[in-house]
Amino acid sequence: MKLEIGKFTVKDIVFGDRTFYEKGVLTVNKKEALDVVFEDSHITEAELYIVRPGDEVRLVPVKEAYEMRCKVSGGQSVYPGCTAPVEPVGAGRTHALKGCSLLVVGKHWGSFQDGLIDMSGPAQRNTIFGSMPNLVLVGDTDEEFERHEQQKKNRALRWAGMRLSEYIGKCVKDLEPEEIETWELEPVNERASDVRNLPSVVYVPQIQTQMEALGYNALVYGWDGNRMLPTYLHPNEILDGAIISGSFMPCSSKISTYEWVNNPMIKRLMREHGRTINFLGVVLSNLNVVMEEKVRSAMMVANIAKSLGAEGAIVAEEGYGNPDVDYILTLVELEKAGIKTLGITNECTGRDGTSQPLVALDERANALVSTGNVSELYELPPMKTVLGELESLARDGLSGGWEGCVREDGSVIMENNAFFCSDHISGFSLKTCAEF
Amino acid sequence: MLKAVHYINQFFGQVGGEESADFEPVLQEGPVGPGLLLNEAMKEVKITHTVICGDNFMASHPEDAVARILKMLEGLKFDIFLAGPAFNAGRYGVACGTICKAVKEKFDVPVITSMNEENPAVEMFKPNMYIFKGGRRATYMKQDVEKMAAFADKIARGDKLLPASMEGYFPRGIRHEVFLEDFGVEPKCAADRAFEMLLKKLKGEPYETELPIPKQERVPIAPAVKDLRKVKIALVTSGGIVPKDNPDRIQSCSATKWGAYDISKLDLLTAPEFKTIHAGYDPEQANKNPNVVLPLDAIRQYQKEGRIVEVDDQYYVTVGTGTTQAEAARMGREIAQKLKERNVGAVVLTAT
Repeated sequence: MKLEIGKFTVKDIVFGDRTFYEKGVLTVNKKEALDVVFEDSHITEAELYIVRPGDEVRLVPVKEAYEMRCKVSGGQSVYPGCTAPVEPVGAGRTHALKGCSLLVVGKHWGSFQDGLIDMSGPAQRNTIFGSMPNLVLVGDTDEEFERHEQQKKNRALRWAGMRLSEYIGKCVKDLEPEEIETWELEPVNERASDVRNLPSVVYVPQIQTQMEALGYNALVYGWDGNRMLPTYLHPNEILDGAIISGSFMPCSSKISTYEWVNNPMIKRLMREHGRTINFLGVVLSNLNVVMEEKVRSAMMVANIAKSLGAEGAIVAEEGYGNPDVDYILTLVELEKAGIKTLGITNECTGRDGTSQPLVALDERANALVSTGNVSELYELPPMKTVLGELESLARDGLSGGWEGCVREDGSVIMENNAFFCSDHISGFSLKTCAEF
Repeated sequence: MLKAVHYINQFFGQVGGEESADFEPVLQEGPVGPGLLLNEAMKEVKITHTVICGDNFMASHPEDAVARILKMLEGLKFDIFLAGPAFNAGRYGVACGTICKAVKEKFDVPVITSMNEENPAVEMFKPNMYIFKGGRRATYMKQDVEKMAAFADKIARGDKLLPASMEGYFPRGIRHEVFLEDFGVEPKCAADRAFEMLLKKLKGEPYETELPIPKQERVPIAPAVKDLRKVKIALVTSGGIVPKDNPDRIQSCSATKWGAYDISKLDLLTAPEFKTIHAGYDPEQANKNPNVVLPLDAIRQYQKEGRIVEVDDQYYVTVGTGTTQAEAARMGREIAQKLKERNVGAVVLTAT
């Protein structure tokens, strides 16, 4: 399977009379863009903004991040099974506006999985979105059933984000890309002997699917991951939009849709394929609530990996706490199958740093990369502008906020938990945990 | 300039060797022995007083020794407490650890010592203080003192303190997230760190996990007791239930002590005669009804029903929060020894 990503690097975003890309500048016709947002009658209010690194802007509650992109050949949509009929992705040509994102922010109401982004100040570096220009959709909906719920599906806004990111992405559909990245991985049984002689490795993302009610979990081709069993994917499928981030996890642990299509772990493994490793592909797992389901998924991951002939595996857990059990079980099952494992996830060591870092521990999990401590405390100075509603952090049950955490002057005290995707378990994280 | 008090034993205090190990604690002005080196190495800190105490005296009368030393320090103004270096000297290490812990608890000042990794006191005290990694013998005096001095200076200047591995002290079990760039390390994203670590693991090369999982000592589960009516049963808890005045002063966290208390005349534990001193859980329910943690009421009921016959006249308790595995294992061994002496055949162990 061969996928070409045509890159258009965006250095700035501006509003203008029409939507087009030229020489590093993305111009957006606001009215036409909002028309796309309002195609869903559940959207009651919407406005677009542009934020740039260094702006004194705080965004909260941020619900999702998308890369603006479109399919050129090999398929119809970059969100198969969501905004378009199910069809395979991962082959052909996709054009993408690189180095920027579309952020979706609630105008008033936040939920457990929503987070905060600062575009400047001490916490600018805590999320990758603080250091790129972003188009920002701020909106509200008529989803009354969940307005005051801590857990929200955020469906209207998430789908609006998908529609809008694809609509804007289409402005580069017919342009010649500045650069083309090619991602190709031949079928596992058709590889040259020098590739086959390299240590073979699988990537095992464990997507967050622990909400038993449907509509909240990460999606695979539009299918709720809570209702799946571990399966095999070509890495190109993920780089081309097969996984859509869910709406149910403490925010720093979330892997946004932007990060799935830019997944740095997959990219590194693809680049090393044929050089230092034989990359066999992705064994996609979910995360479960019931013990038997945890065991079943761990067992199936190990069996698929073993059947593929894997000698090494990288497991990434999208979450912390209860799903640490799935994470450790999967690492142990793989080790028991003779596969050398590495795990990537965050830790929960408490505000004072003395709590047990993972809920489950096992000595066989002996190669772990840590991407942050969810309960690390941060004090943030006030920002001139807030996009969204600052009080949501304190009021609406965001994972790292609490009543009283937003002060009158606009400064904030909160846990890392509330930074948008800040533990970047996808592999972007520049953080680790150190012992003092 | 910050003021420091330095603790050393009789040998380094130039009182004498093993024959003087019972030497009772004294306070002297200015630095003595290794303190002279420390003082010379520290730019921002000055040793104003030195405590000298015999290792045997501290080992055989720890409470008395600690109480006396704390009393000596009461009148002093000091900002940092230093002890050792203790190298691989076991009793000296335990003495440094004991006094550092007590000084930190009472005066809330930074405490710094140095020991060799094989000194048993490292395992006992590392969560409670900065213990720098030192040499095996006193021939390493200069290097060990310099490490302590550099760190004391950093504290005095208010410098950003680096992770344990970079500073050179034994990790205290406190994990915080960090941006590596803040410590002069070139930032590398998690995906690259992961790939490089996996590659090393695949090749069988050494690598360093970012989250070391402590080795777990698993205790095999004992075979079931065949007939409960034929054995003496004891109640043991790590839930901190003590008589109301906590006669043995068991600590509320990081406990190093356990106690045994008489229950021979009791049908159940009553409040406020018994209470919990455990700092690791909400005490409200246990303070209302201590039997929810130490189930004496239930065990007496079983006795009445004839399901069990004999219950040990005393129960055993410590506090299980923040305690190191090494300390917990030591207390476990001591309690088990006591139970064996008293011919106990089965234990109800309640944790919280």
